[in-house]
Amino acid sequence: MLEFENVSKSFGGLKVIDQVSFTVRRGSRTALIGPNGAGKTTLFNLISGVYPLDAGAINLEGEDIAAMAPRLRIARGIARSFQNVRLMPHLSTVENVMLGEHWRASPLALAQGRRAAQAARAALDAAGLSDYPGQVVSNLPYGVQKRIEVVRALAAKPKLLLLDEPAAGLNPAEGEALGVLLERASAGGITLLVVEHNMHFVRRLCDRVVVLNFGRKLFEGTPDEVHRDPAVREAYLGVAA
Amino acid sequence: MSGYASGVLAQLAINIVIAYSVFLPAAAGLLNLGAAGFVLIGGYAAGALTAKLGAPLAVAIPAAGLAAGAIAFLVSFPILRTRGVYMVLATFAFAEVVGGILLNIPALGGAAGLSVSAYAGLPLVLGVTAAVVAFVAWLLATRLGLAMRAVHDDENVALLFGCHLRLVQVAAFTLGGALGGVGGALLVHQFNFIDVQTTGIVFSIFVLLYVLMGGTQTAWGPIAGALFFTLVPEGLRRVAELAPALKFLEGSRYIVFGAAVVLVMMWRPEGLVTRTLMDRFYGFFVRRNHA
Amino acid sequence: MQTLQQIVNGLMLGGILSFVAVGFTLTIGMLNFLNFTIPALFMLAAMTMWALGTAGAHPFGVGMNWIAAAAIGIAVAVAASLLIERFTYRYMKARYGDATEHALPLVSSLGFLLIFEHLVITLWGTEAQRVDLPFADTDLRLAGLVVGIPQLVSLLLSFVLVWLLSTLLVHTRTGRALRAIAENPDAATLMGVEVNRIVPVVFVIAGSLAALAGILYAASYRTVSPYIGDGVAADAIAGMVLGGLGNVWGAIAGGLLVGMVKVFAISSFGAEIEKIPVWGLLLAILIFRPTGIFGHTKIGKGKF
Repeated sequence: MLEFENVSKSFGGLKVIDQVSFTVRRGSRTALIGPNGAGKTTLFNLISGVYPLDAGAINLEGEDIAAMAPRLRIARGIARSFQNVRLMPHLSTVENVMLGEHWRASPLALAQGRRAAQAARAALDAAGLSDYPGQVVSNLPYGVQKRIEVVRALAAKPKLLLLDEPAAGLNPAEGEALGVLLERASAGGITLLVVEHNMHFVRRLCDRVVVLNFGRKLFEGTPDEVHRDPAVREAYLGVAA
Repeated sequence: MSGYASGVLAQLAINIVIAYSVFLPAAAGLLNLGAAGFVLIGGYAAGALTAKLGAPLAVAIPAAGLAAGAIAFLVSFPILRTRGVYMVLATFAFAEVVGGILLNIPALGGAAGLSVSAYAGLPLVLGVTAAVVAFVAWLLATRLGLAMRAVHDDENVALLFGCHLRLVQVAAFTLGGALGGVGGALLVHQFNFIDVQTTGIVFSIFVLLYVLMGGTQTAWGPIAGALFFTLVPEGLRRVAELAPALKFLEGSRYIVFGAAVVLVMMWRPEGLVTRTLMDRFYGFFVRRNHA
Repeated sequence: MQTLQQIVNGLMLGGILSFVAVGFTLTIGMLNFLNFTIPALFMLAAMTMWALGTAGAHPFGVGMNWIAAAAIGIAVAVAASLLIERFTYRYMKARYGDATEHALPLVSSLGFLLIFEHLVITLWGTEAQRVDLPFADTDLRLAGLVVGIPQLVSLLLSFVLVWLLSTLLVHTRTGRALRAIAENPDAATLMGVEVNRIVPVVFVIAGSLAALAGILYAASYRTVSPYIGDGVAADAIAGMVLGGLGNVWGAIAGGLLVGMVKVFAISSFGAEIEKIPVWGLLLAILIFRPTGIFGHTKIGKGKF
């Protein structure tokens, strides 16, 4: 469903993404892993359209989206969460979730209209976050905010969900709840692409792994295969296995 | 109600309308130091309509709003190319240009200002103000309002969720300008006079001051700001009248007011009314119901 | 000849405007803070000097020596500037760690503007006052041109002072610390820069410049009132933008340019139209070349 073809991106003289190619199959749950600074978040920014490509192509369901404005990509079905929580600090939980489905709504409609608020509340309940609907998000704990971000992205009814370190900073119970939420999303047909450092989380959730290091793709395969690959081991452990 | 009290109330109502004209762009993240510009446009337009063409107030006031809104729309495109402090200065420059142009139209009184005889009584002023408040409250509850507040908080993320940045900003700026025009129309027909001198830099600065003081996170902020700005100096003057020992307060009431501004900003830098405060306020009532 | 005289007049006015423009541009460039109190300091110094130097019934009317009066005027303005620093910028940093994300400094500086303007009105009334400086009447006559001595002094002084300022910023420890703070306050603190000691320096410099401008204004135009700050503020801000925010030399050029545009506009079209060319020009620059004629220095993040 998502194809990266020889994508490159440089900032100044630094080549952050170097001819990366990989495929994300529809319905799959792919993890994007690699040491810090490998270019994972940059890759996400390229998919979302925050940065333009220097070279290569990004195809979503056959269509080249590299030139598409960021604002339009959500209509193509790409939604994401962020490494540092980027909820709207002065909006309430429900309002942040309603922002997720903003692209599908008409501008003059009453946002506080029952249908929209109810749907948002239901989504929050389903994620185990029913305690906080009206509260301004900047007052909420970090783990809660992170999960609200995921609910917001899901509210967009995306085809492809990009998650940037969704489990970071979550305690085991929260991580568990997140995993359940994502499994349900995947079962519902959403393709997941997840950047994560938490390998336990990755092993539980994902059926495919892409490894990035210094902007280059090191490996693409199943979680089991990843562990055995010598290049990956060297990158992570620094020793030839 | 005494003439004095109704005068203060009318002034307060007009200040609220003008506050909302700056609040709307501010709620979308755009800082506007040119409130005077749209107030002048609306005031002169409405004044010209009633004084020169004999139009009734019911026509002049909405027409003033439309005129100011139309100019705001046109001007928004170049001004929205600026950001942050540059935008503050651009709106400031715009207001000065408007003033400069109006000063040089002899038919509108030039430097001596425009006098009109039609009078907008307190009920009309309050009615229009109530309509404005209702409009803003409704607007903030719509999808457009949500988009405005999202854009204010985080432009880039709002974009990624489909917010049409330019559209939202133009809308906020245009509607703000229109409200400024309405405020100006009310002003000229309440005081039967308007001129560029008194509706200039100092005016714009005061408006921005009490809008930011009141808080730009909720629709109640501007009201709090306007209340503070209108009532504190008046209150100090009354206190000076009633208590001879505090007579000095009359002359120095703006010094006290200025100090109050500094202190309030130290105590509540996000403004008097914040989202969190309103949440607690509503929460208080909601919890009551659920308990 | 007429035109040449106009140019000279414009430069004279511009010289004074430059001082204030530099004060503005310094605080915006270093601290990302549009300091609306600078015109108030301008007025405060001028009014204080007048009050002290003129014997009379008004408060503090002791009729002291003019140089001493001027010096005290500057001192008062600088003290006020430090007071403002304490309650706006430093308070914001202490409590929130970041002075640029909130409206506090902007609004508070407006509050201080009110305080100082009305303090002056309470003490000395709203009337404009004549300033009878001993040497104020001397003009230089050069090749048929009339050049006021105080104004010439302002022009020359503005170049000297900005040169001094640039040197300070580049070659002294304090200057380097200031530039570090302008780039990245947190990194500067980590590198051992004592932000709380250095930031006041900006306020002192800006305050002194504004105060000096006020003194020179009083000497040049021989009249002061509580409202002279308002008139100068707008023009100085225009000069700052023309020269590029944060650019000290640009501010001088900008101030001079505004001075000339004003003088030409008034003489060609009359006093009432002068707003349009000045502000129209400014608006055009902001839209089409916001970095100003000479380019801005990097200013920090934040909306205010």
